[in-house]
Amino acid sequence: MKSTLNRLTPYVFFMPAAVIMIIALFYPLLYMIWGSFRRWSPSQQIGETEFVGLRNYISLWNDPNFAESMGVTLKFAVSVVTIEMLLGVGLALLLDRNIRGMSVLRTLFILPMMIAPVVVGLMWRYIYHPTIGTFNRFLDTIGVERVDWLGQNALMSVIIADIWQWTPFIFILSLAALQSLPQSALEASRIDGATGWQQIWHIKIPLMMPVLIVTCLLRLIDAFKVLEVILVMTEGGPGLSTEILALRISRTATEFRELGVAAAMSNYLLILLMLLTAAMFTYTKLQEARANRLRMAVEADD
Amino acid sequence: MTFMKYGLTGAIAGLAVSATALLANPYAEYEGTTLIVNFPAHPHYNAAIKALPEFTKQTGIEVEVDQLPYLKMRERQTLELAQDEGEYDLISYVVFSKADYVYADQLENLAKFFMNPKLADPSYDADDLIDGYVQNIGVAGGTKGYLPGPTGSLFGIPFGSETSVLAYRKDIFEKHGIAEPETYEQLLDAACAIPELEPGMGGMASRAASGHQASHAFLLHLAPLGGRVFDDAWNPIINNAAGVEAANALKTIVDCGPEGSLSFGPSEAANAFSNGDAAMFLDSIAFMPGFENPERSSVVGKVGYAMHPMGVRRGSQTGGFGIGIPKNAENKEAAFLLMQWLTSKEGDLMVAMNGGNPSRFSTYQDAGLNEKYPFSATFGEALKYADPDWRPIIPVWGKINADIGTTMSKVLTEGLDIQEALDGVAERTRAVMDEAGYYTWQ
Repeated sequence: MKSTLNRLTPYVFFMPAAVIMIIALFYPLLYMIWGSFRRWSPSQQIGETEFVGLRNYISLWNDPNFAESMGVTLKFAVSVVTIEMLLGVGLALLLDRNIRGMSVLRTLFILPMMIAPVVVGLMWRYIYHPTIGTFNRFLDTIGVERVDWLGQNALMSVIIADIWQWTPFIFILSLAALQSLPQSALEASRIDGATGWQQIWHIKIPLMMPVLIVTCLLRLIDAFKVLEVILVMTEGGPGLSTEILALRISRTATEFRELGVAAAMSNYLLILLMLLTAAMFTYTKLQEARANRLRMAVEADD
Repeated sequence: MTFMKYGLTGAIAGLAVSATALLANPYAEYEGTTLIVNFPAHPHYNAAIKALPEFTKQTGIEVEVDQLPYLKMRERQTLELAQDEGEYDLISYVVFSKADYVYADQLENLAKFFMNPKLADPSYDADDLIDGYVQNIGVAGGTKGYLPGPTGSLFGIPFGSETSVLAYRKDIFEKHGIAEPETYEQLLDAACAIPELEPGMGGMASRAASGHQASHAFLLHLAPLGGRVFDDAWNPIINNAAGVEAANALKTIVDCGPEGSLSFGPSEAANAFSNGDAAMFLDSIAFMPGFENPERSSVVGKVGYAMHPMGVRRGSQTGGFGIGIPKNAENKEAAFLLMQWLTSKEGDLMVAMNGGNPSRFSTYQDAGLNEKYPFSATFGEALKYADPDWRPIIPVWGKINADIGTTMSKVLTEGLDIQEALDGVAERTRAVMDEAGYYTWQ
């Protein structure tokens, strides 16, 4: 009897969290999946809606606007994450040393991350303003032709704003990873005569890899869901050139009043993100397995 | 003690009833009622809120206002109206919500209130209400479902409605001897002449941002140039010659407009005009009082106001807000009294003097109002041509509107061929309409 109780103890402690998970995560998720099979206007309660099977999913598959929006999202996510990773890790490698006032600098660097997205959007909108914006006024003073930031080059402008805001996130995590690297490995390489570049390529980056992969994944998931900054800056325009998926979902729900289609779109996004996460984790698992194999081989040699 | 209290209340109530009978106060029965109303954050409604204390003073009915940004307001109402018991007694709705609410059976038909002799004020004078607005915002169930006609009935009263007029820089036009544009030809000529005559100044500031704004800008030109989105059998005709001409007009205006036009919403366009970056502004009357405000405008006193130029016909915008009573409201009769009071001659003038948009012809002709806002008479004249069929108000409009807006934006930025672009819109619109069942009878 007592042993049964003892065995149950972990589950009892686990219960509150499980209940919260069920209410806060699984219920809405199932509701969304259920809704995605229905033709559902926001004026209706879900019980009054008509079941349409997979029609929402199929019509999305054939919808050129959805395809374009998906393309924009992929372009946006891939470019921002690639550039941010390069810049963030690069900055971390540069600043991983004892500089005076480093803590102040670090705080300054992560400031963009702390600003509310709507404010970031508004700020960049003014920076990009065609006549009174900072960029174009600067271009005027140095005598270069003005750029139509949010018109012809909207996607690029949005990408620049995102890089500005989120590079610090990667920087701060990379820096933390760098500073917790085993000094012994670095010292050994130095004694063996490795140059700075060799240290970076063969010691620092490989050792940072697990952290970098998680960071990259977090940024990628975030980049797929970004909404506010773009909403404020361009509202998806001109045309559909900056209409990322999150924005299209929100417009489908509020402007087109098709909650079922919006739910189906969210599910596509969810599936895509889950695939990405799974791929990343498989990759890390494979890497670990490989490292283990190597270690075993080394130990066997000894 | 309790007995005493009841007895006393009863006596007071009895006295009140007899007093009512003597003074014939139609509001007495509703005295002490608190109405909850949902208004948008909009200059007109800010003006209306200033008039509410007077209503409470006259009637004893208290009013609590829940004011929201207008797109938020629509989301909130969508949720609220679907409940069994709603929170709101009176709502303001955006014109294109009419289709959604009436179709979902969420607004009260107003006939039963106007038929009730205890509620309807015989001096209300409904003929004085601006006809285009009433048809556009209030009536549903007639021709094509969203317009008036023998089968239509009234679901709301225009309150905070808008039409389009042309604001132009009198000084600039006089300086270069350009006449006040009366036709589209003159308008477009002037729009492109000005950037050459006044370097640094755009011809006309227009909204053009992707989505709703670009679609709205296109529709502004479509009606006067003789176009429509649908013919009488719901076939998309947006891609006919008039449609192409309207898109061309928009492109010309944006190309000759102030820098950055491509991302303009209406406020940015209005700002460009009031900063002196453009010589013309053709949009809703709601923006015009701002041009005469010395704190925010550098063109005070230099602006002339004209009717929306004519293409093959006159057809200025109809839009803005109306007020209606939700089916699930708690105090419908008192809500009707508020609605009637706000849109009565007295209420309408009071709101207009506070800076609101009148709903009545007589208010526009009022001498006091014209003294305060010199453009009022022109607006009143323009309203006679407000086109109730300016845009289709059907439940699937949101989707079609977004498509028109996106496509127009592509025409403006990516140089997409206009005929091809509009053919694409027509084709997709047909598919949307087909799915929504508009071709069931064909």
